[in-house]
Amino acid sequence: MKYLVAFAGALSCAMLAASAMPSVKVLGVTPDLVLIFTACWAVVRGQGEAMVVVPIAGVLRDLTTSDPVGTSVLALSPIVLLAVARELRPVESEFLPALAVVASASLAYALVSMAVLTAIGDGVPWGTALLRVAVPSMLVNALFAAIVYPPMRWMSPRPKAVSFGVGSAVRL
Amino acid sequence: MRLLWWTLAVVSISLLSITLSQNRTLDPLQNTSLTIAAPVENGLRELADSISDFFKGAFNRDLERENERLREEIELLQTEIATGEDAQRRAQELEEALGVKQGRPEDQFVVADIIAQDPSGLKRALAIDRGAEDGLDEGMVVLSKGGGLVGTVSRVYEDFAWLRLITDPNSAVNVVVLSEGEEGGSLARGVATGGLRGDLTLEMLPADAKIGEGDLVTTSGLGGNYPRALLLGSAKSVEEKPQAVFRKATLEPAADLSTLDTVLVITSFLPARLAGP
Repeated sequence: MKYLVAFAGALSCAMLAASAMPSVKVLGVTPDLVLIFTACWAVVRGQGEAMVVVPIAGVLRDLTTSDPVGTSVLALSPIVLLAVARELRPVESEFLPALAVVASASLAYALVSMAVLTAIGDGVPWGTALLRVAVPSMLVNALFAAIVYPPMRWMSPRPKAVSFGVGSAVRL
Repeated sequence: MRLLWWTLAVVSISLLSITLSQNRTLDPLQNTSLTIAAPVENGLRELADSISDFFKGAFNRDLERENERLREEIELLQTEIATGEDAQRRAQELEEALGVKQGRPEDQFVVADIIAQDPSGLKRALAIDRGAEDGLDEGMVVLSKGGGLVGTVSRVYEDFAWLRLITDPNSAVNVVVLSEGEEGGSLARGVATGGLRGDLTLEMLPADAKIGEGDLVTTSGLGGNYPRALLLGSAKSVEEKPQAVFRKATLEPAADLSTLDTVLVITSFLPARLAGP
C-alpha cells in the first residue's frame, strides 16, 4: 500500500512538473517536485523505502521528459545515500536534515544530469550550468521542501518507542 | 552490503537504459507513456494557465487579452516585413547575378498542440502531439502561429515529438540582420544561440556589422538546416566593445515561447541532414 501511495505521489509530481510547474520560476529555475517528493520520502520513511521509491520516481520522471530513460534514476540515486542522515540524527530536529538532504540531492541531481547529457553529446556549459541551474536549484528545492516536508511528516506514522527495560526507551 | 548491491544494480540498469534509449529501443515505451500522460498534462496546463491568468489579470482581463492579440499582430507584421525585405533583396540579387527570378515552393505545415514542457533547467524543450505517423522527422523546422521561428524537432516518436527551442543551450541558428536603412547593402551574418536562462544571443557578428535595437533578425539559410527568411526576433540590446573581434547582441524572440499552445511544423522543407543522399 505504501508503495502504491509513493507511486501515485511521484506520478502526480512528474505530471505537474511537465505541465504546470514550468511556469513557476524562482531564481530562474523551476522547483523539481519529483526530487523534493522523493528526498522528503527518504528522510521521513528511511533508507529501506527510499531504495524502492527512488527507481519508481526516476522512471516516472524520465517517461515524462525528453531525457533518456535511466537518467533520472541515476541522478536521484544519491538520495538513498543521503537518507542515512535520518539514521545519524546529527541534530534533534528532522526538519533541518530534510532540507539539507533536498539541497544536497539537488546538487547531485544536477551534476549527474549534466554528466549524462555531456556523455550523450548534448553540450552542457558546466560553469554556467553550475552557477545558474545547480546552485539556484539547491536553494529553490530546499525552499519548496519546507512546504512539502511538514505534511508528509504529519501523515507518516511516528517511529514507535520500544522499551528495553525499566526507565529506558529506544526509538526505532 | 545491501546498499552496495543496490547502488551497483541501479547504476548498471540506468546506464543500460540510457544506452537503449539512445538506440531508440525504448521509444515505444516513451510513446505509450506520453499517450497516457498527454490528456492529464493538457488539463493541468490549462488549469495552471487559468490560475495564472486569474492572478495576473484579476482586474484587467480585457487588457491582458488585448495585449496578447496585439503581440500576435506585431509578430505577424514583423514576419511580413522580414519576408518581404528578404524576398525583395533576394530577387534583386538573382536578377543582377543570374537574371533569373526564383520563387520558393509553397510550404506545407503540420499543426501540433503543445502537451508538455521539459522541466529540466538544462534544456528548453516542448512535447507536441504529432509524430512520425504525421510525417514528422528530426530536424524539421517549427514555427509559431504568427510565423516566428520556434525551434526544430529533436526527437520523434510514433505519435509525439520533442522540440528543441531556439533558446535551448544546444541551439544555433545561422541568421542575418535586416538593418534599417541598409536596403541593398551588405548584410550582417551571425549565429543566434540559446542560453540556460532561456535567453537568445546573436554572436559571431563582424565587428563592423551595422545593428541597432529593434532590427529584425531572420534565418540566413546557411548550413541548410533552416529555410531562408524565417523571422527569429529583433535586437533587444547591442554590446558595444570597440576592441572585440566580434559583436554581440541580445535578441527578443518573435514568438512568445513561454505561452505557446499551437505550433506549425514545416514538412515541405527538409533540413540538409534529411535531404542528403
